[in-house]
Amino acid sequence: MDLAALKTQLKNFVQSMFEEGVLDNQFSQIQALQDSTNPNFVEEVITLFCNDAERIVNEINRNLGYQNVDFSNLDSYVHQLKGSSSSIGANRLKLACANLRQASDERNKEGCLQALQLITCEYCLLRRKFQALLHLERSIVELETNQK
Amino acid sequence: MAPTLPSGDQASDQDNWDNGRLARKRQLLTEIVLRNRLTALVVDGDTTCRVLEQLLLRSYGVQTQGVDNGRDAVALIASGVKFNLIIIDMILPVLNGLEATRQIRDMGVHCKMLGVTACSGESERQAFLAAGVDVFIEKPLDPEHLVPILRELDGQ
Repeated sequence: MDLAALKTQLKNFVQSMFEEGVLDNQFSQIQALQDSTNPNFVEEVITLFCNDAERIVNEINRNLGYQNVDFSNLDSYVHQLKGSSSSIGANRLKLACANLRQASDERNKEGCLQALQLITCEYCLLRRKFQALLHLERSIVELETNQK
Repeated sequence: MAPTLPSGDQASDQDNWDNGRLARKRQLLTEIVLRNRLTALVVDGDTTCRVLEQLLLRSYGVQTQGVDNGRDAVALIASGVKFNLIIIDMILPVLNGLEATRQIRDMGVHCKMLGVTACSGESERQAFLAAGVDVFIEKPLDPEHLVPILRELDGQ
């Protein structure tokens, strides 16, 4: 596939993520911050986000496994995940966090477990799509490098 | 400098991509030229948020430092380091954002403080403002909120 076609594929793929609500305009802001001085910025931020998100989801899972859930501890994890999801433009994941926040506020353990299931699904979807996005970006960089 | 299309009947897809990308970047980043050197402290326990907020500030020419908890923020300010702007999250490790903000204000620090947080409730907003932040912003921190504040700090 030639460079132009790859770039179009990437653009269309990101657009589809916007249309599905997986990403919102905040992701465009992040893309805009990538330039020649920060050529790998998008990949670095996505990697950073995914590492943190997985850690937090695991911590939430662990917390909800206890008989007596420490909801204030849970709150701080949910807050962190909601914040980083908002900051990277992960729209559906951010919304899923709001569900967990509400269940946690209500001290509803069952509700929290259901909300965590949704968060896990949304995160897995996002991660798959981010991996595809980064694969396209790397292919573009490789082709551009070969053409120089 | 405005992007220029190559001579010829039709721009290539690549040219359109590059021009579109540049235009989009300009649109999104709302260009601003600061006359003065501004400094900012970003206090956020989440690495992704902290990195993004710092880079957004740096894209406007603001010199930034970042810390990941309230105690370190207070200690840095207490050591005498001055900032034009402090961006602080509400929920922080070690010392939370509300208490850190109070302690910073109690030291007589009058710089602009933005409470940038994932918390969205009215009670949280009121609590953060009462603690001493000047502006409460629900994450994400975006140019729409930031640029007018930078202009104000720059005396524009």
